[in-house]
Amino acid sequence: MPTLAKKNDKVVNEFNQYVKPVSLWADAWKRLRRNRMAVIGMWIVGIYMVVIFGAALLPFKSYTEQQMLHVNLPPSFKPAGLVAMGQLEKRKSDLTTAIEKSGRVDLKTDLVRIEAEIIQLKGDIDANPVHKRVYIFGTDYLGRDMLARTIYGGQISILIGLIGTLTAAVIGIVLGALGGYLGGWLDNLIGRFVDIMYSLPYMLVVIIIMSMLPTGSNSIFVLFIAIAMISWLTISRVVRGQIISLKNSEFVEAARSMGAGTGRIIFRHLLPNSLSIIIIYATLQFPSFIMSESFLSFLGLGVSAPLASWGTLVSEGVQGMQLYPWRLLVPAITMTVFLFAMNFLGDGLRDALDPQSKNRS
Amino acid sequence: MSRFIVRRFLSVIPTFLIIVTLSFFLIRLAPGGPFAREKKIPPEILANIMHKYHMDEPLINQYFRYVGDVLHFDLGPSFRYKDHTVNELLGAAFPVSITLGVVSLGLAVFFGTLVGIISALRQNKWQDYAAMSVAVLGISIPLFVVGPILMLVFALKLKWLPTSGWINSRAGWTTIIMPSMTLMLPYFAYIARMSRGSIIEVLRSDYVRTARAKGLKETVVIRKHVLKGAMLPIVTYLGPAFSGIITGSVVVEQIFVVPGIGKIFVQSALNRDYTVIMGDVIVYSIILITANFVVDILYGLLDPRISYK
Repeated sequence: MPTLAKKNDKVVNEFNQYVKPVSLWADAWKRLRRNRMAVIGMWIVGIYMVVIFGAALLPFKSYTEQQMLHVNLPPSFKPAGLVAMGQLEKRKSDLTTAIEKSGRVDLKTDLVRIEAEIIQLKGDIDANPVHKRVYIFGTDYLGRDMLARTIYGGQISILIGLIGTLTAAVIGIVLGALGGYLGGWLDNLIGRFVDIMYSLPYMLVVIIIMSMLPTGSNSIFVLFIAIAMISWLTISRVVRGQIISLKNSEFVEAARSMGAGTGRIIFRHLLPNSLSIIIIYATLQFPSFIMSESFLSFLGLGVSAPLASWGTLVSEGVQGMQLYPWRLLVPAITMTVFLFAMNFLGDGLRDALDPQSKNRS
Repeated sequence: MSRFIVRRFLSVIPTFLIIVTLSFFLIRLAPGGPFAREKKIPPEILANIMHKYHMDEPLINQYFRYVGDVLHFDLGPSFRYKDHTVNELLGAAFPVSITLGVVSLGLAVFFGTLVGIISALRQNKWQDYAAMSVAVLGISIPLFVVGPILMLVFALKLKWLPTSGWINSRAGWTTIIMPSMTLMLPYFAYIARMSRGSIIEVLRSDYVRTARAKGLKETVVIRKHVLKGAMLPIVTYLGPAFSGIITGSVVVEQIFVVPGIGKIFVQSALNRDYTVIMGDVIVYSIILITANFVVDILYGLLDPRISYK
């Protein structure tokens, strides 16, 4: 932080601008609000959170309900019955041209079946209320609503991200603070351990841990433990550095001279002063947790059915992407937009909380 | 310098041993062995199989036997593919993954620095904003989203490139394009952002002002003075980038059906093929350790301020 001089009883910064004394947080908030991309990111993240965690209160369909009458319907604002009818009519005309143009007599039985289905649907379309449903994001191969599945998939993905970040932050803060403050053999031990863990191929270790588990066990729980176990490294390094740079400063000495114990100094004096850097790293790590989880789920080593995360939805979507591209694109775009917003928010927070930029406009 | 190399090399050995030990015991602790299948094997036959692979011995004996074999570059037989040794399986896949990794890293560095230079020189102009938006997008999109979307567009809709597979006489080199583009994207994005930042910083430094003041042409200033100073953080990033590319190639190989070590790794993890997982982890850690080693030495060569004493 630049030292501030005084002029006519008011504080000025090094460019001779008057500054009103403000707290770090008020100042950071002001700077964050001025960063347009970060504000957009914050709004998007907020909307996602409301929709995803308010899903139970909002009128969405169940993500487990299968409607075999509505398999693989494309996204549309029209009622499902009409969309399904359109699909069947298109299939019928495709089959008719194939039979007429290329003489594919073998397709006749298919045509007969499709015509029967059309007649059945025509009789059903007004009587059965399910045909009134609207699937704005289409349905998947079991006739489940993609919108509901994407929202509930987001719940799992974001929860894993949140819990993983918290676990990693707690482990990292405690070990980093202890190592940095106490130094000596403990610091050495933690430091060497972190070095070795850094040189391990991190994702591969998680894959090994995941593959060790019997399938169908409590895999989400183990998944975030596995990820959090390995990802506290960066936070602990950062916190350690911050603590070392602070531990010989006057306010710590003052606290010590008043008889404060180690625990009190670390938790009441040192950590609050490292909070901004912890927040920055946590926000930047959050999207990377979501990425790691979906990476594993994509490989089939993460969240298992009936639960779904964005990763499993994308990997399911890949299977039929040529015929049913929306099954890939809906979860893929939803996830990318969220990660995009999180990254902008993280960058904005880093710029806003950076003490170098305090009192500058 | 040579003393530094030797010392750095010696520090690699314990790391390597710890990796081998850790993965050996982790995998052996896993429930469900490689011979646990739906069809029950008669206990006599199972005992014979266990004896053949020395799995009836105490764990610690197995461990020392394994470490001994590894030191002789013998990774043992595969438990699942009985007519192959791990050496054969990985030996065939290794060049594929290395080619993919090196090509991707090369592309990422080349395009990353290029975009970084452009946006640093056009700071706060539209070129800068466009480039940095692409960079954030590159960081945000997961590999397994980019891969399938590229495949959908360029292979299935436009039919410009083959969907999957690896370099062969029929498809030629075109099969490498999509996997390497997918794999390079996040690292290209990071490098672009980093090089933009460091170039902007270097542009303001005293020695660049001196170079301009003595009347050098702007292109010479950029090439000779700015770039050399700005390359340092990028070189430090190459180690983590390479390790990320190697991990990312697990997914990319899965998507584009590339017969590399990543594909073998996932398969053996799902099959619990102990020896293959172990062998794969060893190969991966050798790659990573070598990459970090090379980066450390490169760094010393580039930055005269670092002395190895």
